[in-house]
Amino acid sequence: MNAWGFYVATLLIYFGVDLLSGISLNLQFGYAGVVNFGYVVFQAVGAYAAAVVVLGPSGGVASFQQYVFGARLAFPLDLLVAAAAGGLVSLAIGMFSLRRMRRDYQAVVLLIVSLIAIQLVSADVPLFNGANGLTGVGWPLGQLLGISATSSPWIYAAWVLAICAAVFVGVTWLSRSPWGRSLRAMRDNEAAASAMGLNITALRLQVFVLGGAIAGLSGGLLVEYIGAWSPGAWGYAETFVIFTAIFVGGVGNYRGVVIGVLLVPVIFLEIPRFLPAIGYPGLIDSLQWVAIGLAWMLCLLFRPQGILPEKRLRVGRPVGPPETAVAPAEGAI
Amino acid sequence: MGQLLASSADGIVVAAILAVAAMGFTLQFGLTNVINLSFGAVMTIGGFTAYLANVAHLNAWLGMLLGGVAGAVATVALGRGVLRLYARRRTQLFEMMMVTLGMGLVIDYGLQAISQNAIYGYTVLRGAPLRMGPIAVTPIEVGIIVMALVILVAAEAALKFTKLGKALRATAVEPSLARSCGIQTGRVVLITWTVSGFLCGIAGVVYIISTQSVDYSTGELFLPLVIAAAILGGVGSIRGAVVASLVMGLVTEIVAGYGGAAYSTVAGFAILVVVLLVRPGSVSGGAEDRQLVL
Repeated sequence: MNAWGFYVATLLIYFGVDLLSGISLNLQFGYAGVVNFGYVVFQAVGAYAAAVVVLGPSGGVASFQQYVFGARLAFPLDLLVAAAAGGLVSLAIGMFSLRRMRRDYQAVVLLIVSLIAIQLVSADVPLFNGANGLTGVGWPLGQLLGISATSSPWIYAAWVLAICAAVFVGVTWLSRSPWGRSLRAMRDNEAAASAMGLNITALRLQVFVLGGAIAGLSGGLLVEYIGAWSPGAWGYAETFVIFTAIFVGGVGNYRGVVIGVLLVPVIFLEIPRFLPAIGYPGLIDSLQWVAIGLAWMLCLLFRPQGILPEKRLRVGRPVGPPETAVAPAEGAI
Repeated sequence: MGQLLASSADGIVVAAILAVAAMGFTLQFGLTNVINLSFGAVMTIGGFTAYLANVAHLNAWLGMLLGGVAGAVATVALGRGVLRLYARRRTQLFEMMMVTLGMGLVIDYGLQAISQNAIYGYTVLRGAPLRMGPIAVTPIEVGIIVMALVILVAAEAALKFTKLGKALRATAVEPSLARSCGIQTGRVVLITWTVSGFLCGIAGVVYIISTQSVDYSTGELFLPLVIAAAILGGVGSIRGAVVASLVMGLVTEIVAGYGGAAYSTVAGFAILVVVLLVRPGSVSGGAEDRQLVL
């Protein structure tokens, strides 16, 4: 296993995790119309949940890391717990943030939720070991097979991509189902959908929770590869990378999400690694974020519908001028 | 009791700093209806300008003034130069917020690149604290409180008594009607940006005077509190912003005094979240028909 092989395998794993994140955010934003600026919290919850049920019982204050709960569950319970944790937290947060309020307020509230979460977790050491975070997280499936994640990254990559494929297929199938149609109805014309008898609040919450569960799952997969997780890994800026990815690729459709995640976190953010080291150390990292901001702004300016805009299903002959597929939910709040 | 008094005094100082920023923010927000997420970045620009003025051995008050000017210039340049582009393409209100987010990222990390990600000390205008029982405030902190009050009174008076103030209020409520009355809304927006940007720059300088350091993330960390205070105080309401800042400042410092600094900002934010939970209508009512004014 040479360095290149390890690098490419790791890249594939991150691609898979980011793809799950993109799918989750696409569900929450593209379908439920929720601007989840606090997205990274759900991924963090899943990661912490998976870590805590894999590390075994906590040693309490005396040991070098303390955390709540603690168990040593076998595969597949660890990932199920991660997804469930993400879903539960998104249920709790959704209960108060999905009320009828201005979308920009909603975005600010969710951003603030993520800031509160990071402060609380960093400060409360008995919870998840505070700012130092958790380490030494293993991979239960690997333990079953007798391999470790970092020594066989290609196998882990295959595992992650298999899960991604399953989620992708599931989510695409769901979007073609009657439930998916009601989602699009709710998104495109909430008043009409509500008049047709759809329970908008329930639908929104369902989508939000599903997105949260997938985010939790992505966190669980990530933490079992890296083996560690701390507040430094889930700053609010991480959310924007995924947002940029789904915008660039095209909100509202999953193939767009794949392209966006391929372009932004993987290609765009990895290119600087191969540039010659210019300026002082860290200059490239700063410029990377500048580039993300610019990409975001340019995308919103020139192609807000993304590379692959959502395919609008046309039933019968269109009456009146065709609508342009711009960023979703102008008719909603 | 002594702890409570001391924390309250600290809270009023924090509130004053927050109020200057919140007043600037709510002025902009009330008129254009856009939550300008690059406000924090402009605060950092103001802070760095004052720092550079200090390095050039200019008077500290002149540095503050220059910081305000820098903030005004930056806000107008961003509003006219960047946001106009998007308004022309008929971007929606909420997408504008995302554009300002991108702008904020570019400025923040551009500043990080230029400043080489270092933290710069800014120890000016520090005096010995005056002690009154358990309360200890430095003269400059008193000065900041006075400044905030002066700005409050001046802004309220301008809005109420000057022709420009009336034009601003008219444009904020119903822009198309204001235009048909002959009010040049473009100029009103420009002047609002200038004043709001000036306050933003000043707020940035005031903030770094109290924290005694400046780095690229200065404004970024402060911005959520500013937005929370502005929203809590009601969109576009100057006195609302001040009252909300007072509440948040007091709660933040009292919690810090009793519970530890880590939970203080959590408490501050929690206020906004609780208010939105309990009475969402009170802070967000009637917003569906808000239009973008640029």
